[in-house]
Amino acid sequence: MSRRSEAYLQDIPTKPYDLLREGLILLLFWTAVIVGLAVLFGSPDYPAVRGEDVAQRQPLAFLKTSANILAGNSSLQGYGPPYSPDTGNVQQFLGVAPADWPGVTNPIDPPRDFILQPLARVAILNPAVGDALRTYEAATTTQQQMWLKAYLAALDKATVAGGQVQLLAGIYGPVPALMTGLLDLGRAGLLEGALVDSARLPFTLDFTRALLFFQDDVDHSVASSLDMLGGLWGISHETGPYPGAWWLWPYTFSYQIPPMSSSPNGDLQVGVIITVVFLATLFAPFVPIVNRLPCWLGVYRLIWRDWYRR
Amino acid sequence: MNLTESAQRVLRDNLPLEDLLPTRMPTYVNSLSYLFGASALSALGVLVLTGVLLSLFGPDWYHGSRVGHFVNSLHFWGVQVFFGTLLMHMITKFLMAAWRDGRWRTWAVGALTFGVAMVTGLTGFLLQGNWDAQWIAVQSKDAVNALGAGAFFNPMNTGQVLTLHVVVLPLVVVGLVGLHLYFIRCDGPVKPL
Repeated sequence: MSRRSEAYLQDIPTKPYDLLREGLILLLFWTAVIVGLAVLFGSPDYPAVRGEDVAQRQPLAFLKTSANILAGNSSLQGYGPPYSPDTGNVQQFLGVAPADWPGVTNPIDPPRDFILQPLARVAILNPAVGDALRTYEAATTTQQQMWLKAYLAALDKATVAGGQVQLLAGIYGPVPALMTGLLDLGRAGLLEGALVDSARLPFTLDFTRALLFFQDDVDHSVASSLDMLGGLWGISHETGPYPGAWWLWPYTFSYQIPPMSSSPNGDLQVGVIITVVFLATLFAPFVPIVNRLPCWLGVYRLIWRDWYRR
Repeated sequence: MNLTESAQRVLRDNLPLEDLLPTRMPTYVNSLSYLFGASALSALGVLVLTGVLLSLFGPDWYHGSRVGHFVNSLHFWGVQVFFGTLLMHMITKFLMAAWRDGRWRTWAVGALTFGVAMVTGLTGFLLQGNWDAQWIAVQSKDAVNALGAGAFFNPMNTGQVLTLHVVVLPLVVVGLVGLHLYFIRCDGPVKPL
C-alpha cells in the first residue's frame, strides 16, 4: 500500500478482496439489467411536429400560428436577448438581469424571419404571392394590423372542406393570399428549409427558427395531450409510460411552488435556487449544518452495522 | 528536473499497484452501499459503448431499423441505470460523511461529475430527434436564456448540441471519473464514523 494508506489503515484489520472480479460481476449484472429493460420496454420515439404535418392535418392551426407571428403576437415578440434588444421581458433577480450581459447574439425578427422571408421564396415560384407580398409591404402598419386582426377573427369561424380553408367574406387585403402561400409551403414539406438561415446551407445543423415556429399554441397543444406541460413537471417527462429525466425533479418541482410558479422571473429564480443547491452539494464538507447531517441522521450505523457489531 | 522521475515518484508515493488494484480491503468495507459507485461505472461503460454504436450508424439507423432502435433503447435504459446508481452512490457517501480525513477532493470531483452528467443527459435528450427533443429544446431555452447562457449554448442548435454530447461532455465526464477514481485509490476507503 502507499505510505498514506498504510498510515491511515495501520490498526484496521483487512480481508481478501478482488477488485477486478467484483467490477466484472457488476458490469455483467447491470448489462443484463439494461438489456432486459430494453427488450421488455424499448424506448420512446414519438415523432416530431413538422410543418408538413400541421399544414396537412391542422391547417387552421397552421394559419393561426402564421398570422399571429406576422401580427407580432408570438411569444418571441419582444422576448429580449439573445433574440432581440427589448428589455421589457428580460428576467431579473434582485435587479440583476444576466441575459442582458451578452446581449443579442442570435437576432430574430419573427414577422420578417418566420413569415415574410419564406414568402419571398414562395413568390419566386408563385407570382400571385409576390403580388400579395408587395401589396402587404406597401401598406401602412395600421392597415396591415387591420387586415390581420380581421383575418385572425375570421379564422375562428373558418371551416375546412376538402383541404381548403373556407373564410367568411371580409376585408383581409392580401393576407389570405400570403397565408395560403405559406400553407402551401408547409404542405410541400418545405417550411423548415425556408426558415433556415440560407447563408449556412447546405451544411447547417442549426434549426432554431424551425423549432421556434410552432413553439406557442401548436407545441403546447401537443404537450397538453401528452401531459408534458410545465405545470405537469414539463421536461422531466418522456412521452408514454417511460421514465424521463427524473433526476431533474428537484429542478422542475421548483417551478411548482410560489413565487416561481407565477413569477415572470421564474426561470431565473429557479436557476439561482438550483445553482445554490449545487454549490452547497459541491462544498458540503465545509458547509456548517450540512456537514453535520450524516452524524445526526445516523444512517451510517446501518451501513457499517457489521463493523459496530464487532 | 526530470519530469519522468517526478511522475514515477508521485505514482510510487500515491498509487502503487497494491492501491490501484487492491487484493485486501478493510473489514468495514462490507455493505451494499459500496457497490453503487462501481455500478454507475458499469452503466457508464454501457453508455459509452452504445453511444459509439449510435454515432457510427446515425439517426436513420436508430429511428428506422429494429436493431438501431434496440441499441437506442439500450442507451436510454443505460442512462436510467447510470443516474439511479450514481444518485444512490452520492446519497450513501453523504450519509457516511465520506469526505472526512482529507477526502473532500474525492467528494467535490464526484459532485462536479454529477453536475456535468446532468448537462450531458440534457444534451442527450435534445438529440433524440423526436417530439421529446423538440419540446425539451423550446422549453429549456427559456431557462438557458434567463441565466444569460443563451449566447453560449443554444438547445435548438443541433450541431452544437451534437458535438457537446458526443465529444466534449463525455470527455469531461470520463476525465472527472478518472480523477475521482485516482483519489479513491490513493486515499483508500474512509473509516467508519
